[in-house]
Parts: sequence; structure tokens; C-alpha cells
Amino acid sequence: MMTAVRTETSTRRLSHARLMGLASAMLVAVAMLLNATAHASPDPKAAPPVFVQEVADQLLAVLKEDPEVRNQNIERINEVVTEYIMPYVDFERTTRLAAGKYWRQASEAQKEELSAAFRNTLIRTYSGALTKVDKGTAMEILPFRGDADAKDVVVRSSVIQASNTEPIRVDYRLRREPEGWRIYDINVENVWLIQNYRNQFAQQINRSGIDGLIVALNERNAQN
Amino acid sequence: MFINRMLAVASVTLLVGCAGTQQPPNPQDPWEGMNRGTYAFNDAVDRAVFRPIAELYAFVTPRPVRTCIRNVYLNIGEIWSMINSNLQQRHVDAINTTGRFLLNTTMGLGGCIDVASKQGQPRINNDFGVTLGVWGVPQGPYLVLPFLGASTVRDGVGTGVDFVGNQLDTIGAIPNVRLRNSLWGLEVVVRREALLTVSKTVDRTALDPYSFIRDAYLQQRRAQVLGDADAQELPDYEDYADVEVDEKALGIEQEK
Repeated sequence: MMTAVRTETSTRRLSHARLMGLASAMLVAVAMLLNATAHASPDPKAAPPVFVQEVADQLLAVLKEDPEVRNQNIERINEVVTEYIMPYVDFERTTRLAAGKYWRQASEAQKEELSAAFRNTLIRTYSGALTKVDKGTAMEILPFRGDADAKDVVVRSSVIQASNTEPIRVDYRLRREPEGWRIYDINVENVWLIQNYRNQFAQQINRSGIDGLIVALNERNAQN
Repeated sequence: MFINRMLAVASVTLLVGCAGTQQPPNPQDPWEGMNRGTYAFNDAVDRAVFRPIAELYAFVTPRPVRTCIRNVYLNIGEIWSMINSNLQQRHVDAINTTGRFLLNTTMGLGGCIDVASKQGQPRINNDFGVTLGVWGVPQGPYLVLPFLGASTVRDGVGTGVDFVGNQLDTIGAIPNVRLRNSLWGLEVVVRREALLTVSKTVDRTALDPYSFIRDAYLQQRRAQVLGDADAQELPDYEDYADVEVDEKALGIEQEK
């Protein structure tokens, strides 16, 4: 008698839980929809941490949907980068700072070619990481301790790549420009990107000039 | 016999390394010629021996199993990290590391599952090289160690002490020689496997893998010695577009 009563209550509780689950799943779905529209395009005029989170969310949403990216389709990755990363990045600045004092020796055409070649190198650097994106991938912005009124700020984040792996520290360096914030440097596990290319650029320019550097980057990009 | 041959290879690559560099010397890397030689030697050994073994290991072992084994090794290493945090007077780090170790050893099934990271307590890597840095020992020139790779004079000393420290509190303390050596052997494979994607990235994207690795290593070590991420100085890149604007404003002729 007692057991029967107990089973009945537990079944009722179970169906109740299932209902609650359904309701919350629907809520989540609605929230995600709302979020998707809210993240339609990141706002560079927002506070830096908000802006970076928006850029990352938008990018992750696209990557999670797209099987082509996971298949390492470099053309598709290129498209995604052009559409969802480049508008928020001051890539000319990245290249200029990596080239350092040699930048002023470059002609306009060389500057453009160098930016393009470097961009392709970086796409190759990160395409591997982009293909690892799965349902569990997430980025959490860490508390912002910088001065939001400054012209040059750092936004820190923690990226969870996949289950049971350690989160990776990724920091973004941004600069305020007339059109809003632009990312120009990125730090993965304490290594700043620009810093890490400065010596390599200088070496190559010393050896074979700016054209030599462009050729070297393009050769690297053509290899597999 | 084997060692003789290794030395012969090393000295040849050393000469080649010396011949290849005529840049202005990098102040952090005055021994670049020798270092490039050791780097080439390490790279050759890695490609011939360590990398293939690590790739084979990755091929035959499912990813969750690999992650689990790696986590177990990293978990054992936390004891030495904790000791170093204490030596550096970073007691909060030491407490966090102890908490991680206890949680992962129990709830995480001997370290297999990194429960602590999931709960927002990331691993704090630490070693005696960092301790020396915190104590104010300058890092000295960059130094590529045979087999071990990127280091500095200070970190090289640190690595020696790390080895002794690990003898006392981890695998080195296992009395059964055969078991101990097998575990060490496996550790080498596991650690190399964890770096496979990194080396692939370096291969694919670095213009000069030697300076890519050197600059990344030096940046990372500096950050570890400084500790608190918010206290770290940001790299100050001189922006030559600004310099140009200034010069134009001041009417200075641009030198080409």
C-alpha cells in the first residue's frame, strides 16, 4: 500500500519535472532567439567588454552552425573572418605595429600587400582553433579593471574550448577610434601576437627588404 | 657511442647555426648562434623520435583517455607548483592550488577529470625558475637546452631544481625502478602529445620558428614571474604612423 502511494507521487513528480523541463527549454529557445536579434551586429560604441562579448557571441553562433568551418574549408573560414571579425579589427594597425620602424619605408602598395599577406598568415594560425569549436565552446569575459575612458584598453577573457580541457586565457587589446572601439592585438596564454611577430618581421626585412617579407609570408601561406 | 654521434650532429648543426646569422644581435639572445644549433638538433630529434611516437599515441588512444591521463600527470605536478607558490610568498595561489589538488584527486578521480577548472579555479602553473625570478634573480640570456628546448640561464637552473623537487614528492619517489621509469617515459609521450597542435601551428605560421618560439617563451615567462595579470605592463609598440604625424606637425624632414 505504502509503496504504491510512493510510486504514484514519484511518477507525478517526474511528469511535473518533465513539464518544467519543457517550459524552461522553450524559455531558453525564446531567449536565444531574442539574443540572436540583439546580437545582430556588435556595437563598437558600447563599453569595451560588452563589445568584445558581442563580437565573440556572434562569431561563435556562426561557427557552431556551420559544418564547413569544422571541415577546415579555408575558403569558408576566410569568408567568416571577413564578415564577422575584420569589421571589428584595425588590421592595418596590427600590421603597422608588427612592422615597427620599417613601416615608414614601405610604399602604399607594399603596405597593402603586407597587410593582406599577414592577414592570411593569421587566418592560418587561428583556423585550426576555429575548427575545434563545438557546442561546449564558450567565452567568458573576466571582470574589466581598466579605465573605460582610456583610449587603449585590454579586455580579458577565458575561453573554454571543449569539455574536460583547461580554459585558455585570451586578452584583447582595443583602441578607441572615431568610429568606435577596434581590436588590434590579441594575447593567447600570455603571448601578445604583435610582439611575437616583431622580431620575425625585422629579421626578414633586414635580410631581404619589405618585398622579401611579403614574399616570405605568401610562400608560407601557400605551403600546407 | 650513441652520445658521440649525438655530439657530432650537435657540433655540425652548431656550425651551420653560426653561419646563418648576421643580424644585429638580440640583447636577450646573445648566444643565438649556439642556440640555433641546439634548436636544429632538438628539432631533428623531435621529428625523428618524439613527434612520431606522440602521433602514434594520439592515433591509438581516444581523446577522452588522453585528456584523462594528461590530467593525472598535471595533477601530480600541482604539489610542486604549490610548494613554489609558497616559496614566492604567493600564498593565495598556494591555497588555490592545494584546493585544486584535493578536489581533483577525490572528486576528479585521481586527477583524471579537472573538476576544479570547471568550477572556475584554473590551474596555476609554477616552477622553480619562476620562483628564482620572483626572488629577483635576473633571467640571463636565452638558452636552448638539448632535448628540453626553450629556456634561459635562470630557468635552466630552475629546471634542475624542479627535477630534484619532483624526485621527492611525485613519480621520482616510487621505489620500483621499472614502474617509475615507465611512468616517466609515458609522461614524456603525454606531454609531447599535448603540444602537437602547437607545433603544427608553429610549422604552419611562423616565418622563423626559432624566433617565434623564443619570443613566445620569453613573453610567457615574464608574465609568470610578474604574476598578477592586471599588474602586467602592456607591450609598448611605437606607432610610426603617430611619429610621422608628429614629424609633419613639427616640420621635420622624413629620413628614408
